[in-house]
Amino acid sequence: MAGKSILHKILILAIPLFLIVSIGFGLFYGYWNSASPKKTCASCHEISASVEMITQSAHRNLACKECHGTALSNGVNSLREKGMMIINHIKGVADEDVKLNEVQILGVMDNCTRCHKTEQARWLSGGHSARYQDIFLNAKHNKTEQLNFDCLRCHGMFADMSIGNIVEPLDTTGPWKFKINSVSARPVIPCLACHQIHLAGMPQPRPDYSNPQNLFYGRITSNSLVSFYTRHDKIHVSAGNLPILKLWEGVRLVKVSSDPIMRNCIQCHAPNAGHQAGTSDDRTPRGVHEGFSCITCHDPHSNNARQSCNKCHPAISHCKIDVKTMNTSFLNRSSPNNIHWLSCTDCHKGGRRK
Amino acid sequence: MDLPDKLSRRRFMRLAALSAGGIYLFSRCAGPTAEWRFFTSSEARLMDALADQIIPPDEWPGGGESGVTNFIDKQLTGPFLRFQSEYRKGLKGIQDSSETLYHQRFENLNWKEQTSFLELMEAGKMNEPVWADGFDLKFFGLIRDHSMQSYYGSSRHGGNRDNISYKMLKLDYPFIVGQNRYKS
Ligand code: HEC
Ligand code: HEC
Ligand code: HEC
Ligand code: HEC
Ligand code: HEC
Ligand code: HEC
Ligand code: HEC
Ligand code: HEC
Repeated sequence: MAGKSILHKILILAIPLFLIVSIGFGLFYGYWNSASPKKTCASCHEISASVEMITQSAHRNLACKECHGTALSNGVNSLREKGMMIINHIKGVADEDVKLNEVQILGVMDNCTRCHKTEQARWLSGGHSARYQDIFLNAKHNKTEQLNFDCLRCHGMFADMSIGNIVEPLDTTGPWKFKINSVSARPVIPCLACHQIHLAGMPQPRPDYSNPQNLFYGRITSNSLVSFYTRHDKIHVSAGNLPILKLWEGVRLVKVSSDPIMRNCIQCHAPNAGHQAGTSDDRTPRGVHEGFSCITCHDPHSNNARQSCNKCHPAISHCKIDVKTMNTSFLNRSSPNNIHWLSCTDCHKGGRRK
Repeated sequence: MDLPDKLSRRRFMRLAALSAGGIYLFSRCAGPTAEWRFFTSSEARLMDALADQIIPPDEWPGGGESGVTNFIDKQLTGPFLRFQSEYRKGLKGIQDSSETLYHQRFENLNWKEQTSFLELMEAGKMNEPVWADGFDLKFFGLIRDHSMQSYYGSSRHGGNRDNISYKMLKLDYPFIVGQNRYKS
């Protein structure tokens, strides 16, 4: 029975060893999760860039785990990710392009919404909280336009899979279904589609209370608030670095707002490649509202534009009537006078009302 | 288990063990993080000067400011691993030759001197032994190609800071184009 006694010995040795290692790990792990990121997470140079960025951002006072959870709380994926980083670290290959996968992005998002309840509630009330099932199983859309990789540019940008691994069949006859059911309720435009977190920002200074007139001049203009995530390069581009749309109405160049935030909107609500006004999903204001940014009317999270008219009208109304009651798509969805490109001549032909 | 990314039990244990071990290991590299991944800071200063010669600043930032050094440094610890020894040898060679010819470090030469130095390299006319077998011409070609890749490539690779070259070329980045929208 020699075999059995060896096993015995191994067990006798192994159990205390296991306990010692576990206790040691537990102590260390406790320290790890509470110590300053500079001493822990950032000591791994693969992620020191991420740390450096966040120390300059609005979230500079938050511990990593507020958003990322702990090394173990995200389960297997998190462990695997960190495990791979360590393997590469030992091999001497810097794997700086550590990126979160979609499940991790959505995990982080659950943490954003812990603190940002208002924005979450607004987002939930608008079209941007659409889910995979709303976008990819829409029979009318799928019959007219065949599903392809490009759909994921504007909705589903964090998907780790190709379109063919999400929906089948890839044709215009259907019926369509998901290959993996767990994707169906995932949001297609999560917070991180428009927000980058590890981004050098400009925290606002505390004001000079003794002289309120100075407050205006002490404010810092920051473009760090909004970004756009491009699936193609898997990076965020901050709104200030996004291009301004050049839009043509026939041969006339439309005046387009230079508001950085509108540059985010028009990445998805975009005209065709020829940049002709009104093509594809273009809603760029022309006519009476030409040059306005989308968010002068639309709330950035709910998209609601119901309350916006009062910000400017009737003070600037030419017609001396409440604009909300006029014949536009605001009042009536079947009105020919679309609010986005309404002009005086739509209603007044040759100086007179039509 | 039919998850998209399968993780066998054995692999899990291996990773778990490594993670636990790795956390202990971290304390070893907890010192101040180095500024560069591969380059020394003096090599990086030289690289900045070289990058500006290859893509000179005008109303737009040149190679140096656009992040060429960061790009090459990053790639040398990844896809360009195989060029590490060439860079180590070449950068030292440039500095040594500059000391021989001008008694100064390359980045301290004036613009014209730097240019004519690199013209010699490009023509393969350097005399020092390091440059034997056309290494001068070859190394110049390497820096030029990598600088161009940095300047015109995607910023995710570490160069083209703030997409500067796209702005210069008036290219929309990301490109603005809508879906092929049908009319209902
Ligand atoms: C306010 C929430 C938040 C906090 C706090 C936070 N992160 Fe992140 N982190 C994110 C988000 C969101 C992403 C996805 C990419 C992005 O938005 O920058 C991310 C991505 C990352 C990545 C992947 C690289 C990348 O840029 O995609 C690493 C590594 C990382 N974080 C490390 C850290 C460390 C270390 C800390 C603590 C110093 C930290 N994070 C604190 C939200 C946070
Ligand atoms: C623990 C609470 C907490 C979590 C988690 C959190 N935030 Fe914040 N966030 C804040 C606070 C507090 C501020 C205001 C900080 C300030 O302006 O000084 C803020 C500011 C912001 C801002 C404005 C940034 C700016 O530059 O002014 C945005 C956008 C934002 N958060 C998005 C997010 C997103 C996206 C996530 C998830 C990745 C997230 N937050 C997670 C607490 C949190
Ligand atoms: C350039 C960005 C972009 C691309 C590419 C894109 N979409 Fe969309 N999608 C949008 C926008 C913006 C809307 C909102 C439409 C509106 O009302 O203007 C939308 C709306 C939708 C809707 C809601 C119903 C409807 O028809 O408006 C579905 C379904 C949809 N898209 C599916 C798809 C599919 C499938 C593809 C690929 C064949 C695709 N989209 C490609 C931007 C895009
Ligand atoms: C379609 C793009 C988009 C999405 C998706 C989005 N946001 Fe925003 N968010 C914006 C814009 C645009 C602003 C800036 C508004 C402004 O400056 O008036 C903003 C601002 C913010 C701010 C700062 C608010 C303030 O008053 O300073 C927070 C916090 C925030 N968003 C959180 C979130 C959270 C949480 C989510 C997900 C539930 C989310 N956002 C989803 C576009 C978006
Ligand atoms: C990542 C792509 C994307 C970005 C960026 C984006 N949108 Fe959208 N938007 C969509 C899609 C897709 C839909 C349709 C979703 C659905 O099926 O309901 C939509 C729907 C809308 C709607 C109609 C539904 C509603 O909620 O009223 C409005 C209005 C709107 N977006 C405004 C904006 C504004 C304003 C911005 C900029 C702050 C913006 N969008 C940025 C993709 C985008
Ligand atoms: C002058 C205010 C105003 C501005 C500026 C504005 N919108 Fe709208 N938008 C509205 C109103 C009101 C509605 C609802 C009535 C309608 O659908 O026409 C609407 C509806 C929409 C819808 C729902 C689809 C539709 O047309 O019914 C989308 C998408 C949209 N807007 C996107 C945008 C985008 C993107 C911008 C900026 C490029 C923008 N809007 C600028 C007022 C505005
Ligand atoms: C940011 C300010 C602003 C907002 C918000 C705004 N408008 Fe206007 N609107 C104007 C200005 C300015 C004009 C006059 C343009 C001119 O003189 O060419 C105008 C003109 C009009 C006109 C033409 C008739 C007239 O009396 O000038 C109508 C109709 C109108 N707006 C409807 C609306 C509706 C409906 C909304 C809400 C969805 C709205 N507007 C939101 C600024 C605004
Ligand atoms: C949606 C339709 C519509 C649009 C767009 C519109 N109007 Fe009017 N306008 C009317 C109506 C209705 C009246 C009142 C009835 C009338 O006088 O015929 C009116 C009246 C007027 C009046 C006479 C007001 C008074 O003193 O009684 C003027 C001036 C006027 N509009 C100028 C403009 C100008 C300038 C624009 C563009 C900036 C414009 N309108 C856009 C519908 C419109």
